[in-house]
Amino acid sequence: MSEVYVIGAGMIPFGRYPDQTPAQLGAQALLLALDDCGLAVPDVEAIYCGSTFNAASMIAQQVLKQIGQTGIQCINVSNACASGATAFREAYVAARSGLYDVVVAMGAEKNPKGMLQGVGASDGPNPESLFGSVSLPALFAEAGMEHAAKYGTSIEQFARVAVKNHHHSTMNPKAMYRRETPLDEVLASEMIAYPLTKLMCSANVDGAAACVLVSERKARELGLDRAVRVAGSALMSDPFQPRNPMLIDGNSVTRLAAAKAYEMAGIGPKDLDVVELHDCFATAEVLHYENLGLCGDGEGGAMIDSGETALGGAIPVNVSGGLLSKGHPIGATGVANIVEIIEHLRGEAGARQVDRARIGLAHVLGFGVGIGAACGVHILEKA
Amino acid sequence: MTARAAHKSIRVGDDGEAWIEAYRCDACGAVVGEPTLACRNCAIRAAPSAFRVAERGMLYSWTVVSRSYPGVVVPFVSAIVDLDDGPTMKGTLRDVDPDTLASGMPVAVRFDDAGGAVDKEGAAFVGFHFVPAGETL
Ligand SMILES: [Zn+2]
Repeated sequence: MSEVYVIGAGMIPFGRYPDQTPAQLGAQALLLALDDCGLAVPDVEAIYCGSTFNAASMIAQQVLKQIGQTGIQCINVSNACASGATAFREAYVAARSGLYDVVVAMGAEKNPKGMLQGVGASDGPNPESLFGSVSLPALFAEAGMEHAAKYGTSIEQFARVAVKNHHHSTMNPKAMYRRETPLDEVLASEMIAYPLTKLMCSANVDGAAACVLVSERKARELGLDRAVRVAGSALMSDPFQPRNPMLIDGNSVTRLAAAKAYEMAGIGPKDLDVVELHDCFATAEVLHYENLGLCGDGEGGAMIDSGETALGGAIPVNVSGGLLSKGHPIGATGVANIVEIIEHLRGEAGARQVDRARIGLAHVLGFGVGIGAACGVHILEKA
Repeated sequence: MTARAAHKSIRVGDDGEAWIEAYRCDACGAVVGEPTLACRNCAIRAAPSAFRVAERGMLYSWTVVSRSYPGVVVPFVSAIVDLDDGPTMKGTLRDVDPDTLASGMPVAVRFDDAGGAVDKEGAAFVGFHFVPAGETL
């Protein structure tokens, strides 16, 4: 089996694009990724495109209508917030299999406006407030309160995740917010579901990102100067847990995927230099420090307090600004997180560059409320 | 007209009595909230058996929802409760001061009229919520 390298990466600035279709956004990201490695549309042999809300309308084919209908294999993927990571995983498998030399993994999304509602219908009265809440902030608040009850994690600790990630995004020209939010401002912003205030919830934006993956043979032919090797790849679904799905469980599926990816890469969390993880809500980031093994169980609150996960710390997390501040275009997020890691490994991340980054991890978690979860973990290494 | 269940786990008898149903695997004991073909936990090829769920349990986690979808009255307590004989249920916890909430707090199930909702034919709905149960049985 072939090693797989990413040689091209691109993303458009995250924000609102009222006059463009998701496919037009995706096409721009794909061209950025191709320009990044000097390839052209006819070089691409297959496209895997993640789009939670547009996979069913053949978004990859629509992308090719924008830039060149070469007749190649198009796979459209919807896997909740893990759609982009799923597309990357499948593109990786395709390149590794030896069937293809040049494949594209991409994600493109225009999010619905307003608070995103989880899946789940009822022919009776609206269940919201009659049977608790199924809003995503409430679900991740409940997961945070489980951690608070077990380990004494405070609202200030969760809020510091937002302070950090909003700070990071001031250094990312493609991020949505790009504005400092001190702790008192995060705590004073509108309470959504305790302990989550508005500034502790991810930014609802449109966006697109793309990566060009190649076989080892093709990578050597084109030169490995800026190539990044996919050292570990895992995509898992939620294993049985007694409280799942009443209590949202991103913990067991993340641990499953992380263990597989670390094993495949032959490394452990201590070997990582930079991490992008799924901070859809500030509570989630603290949980994932532990789920990814960046610290021990119960140490997540202390870890955010220590500053270790800020730029300049021992293991910078979400230097892009994360979903909280860079933004979370659902189906594009999984690819965008990988693009961010690649920029650091290449030393091309500008003001937010993580010093001497050699190995990075990208984590994405998708949920269908009351239905299931998908988690993608990818470990990338400078070639 | 018999009242209809407003939640997939509620069953309503011919006499109008309501209860919550869950399903337990006869092989491994895992409990789930809906009927399945085989066991979600051990994958044994036998459908878990339905049982009537205890109407007492302990608060496991919660949040106070201060903003929800348009038209939903806030604030309310969204509670995740471990019922005494296995299943975990989500519901609204009422008649409680949110500042006194703590994991492990005893709660009880109360059936209600699901906010007074009726369907197109005028049939009422049956819902449930949780209330604090105090320290005694
Ligand atoms: Zn079983």
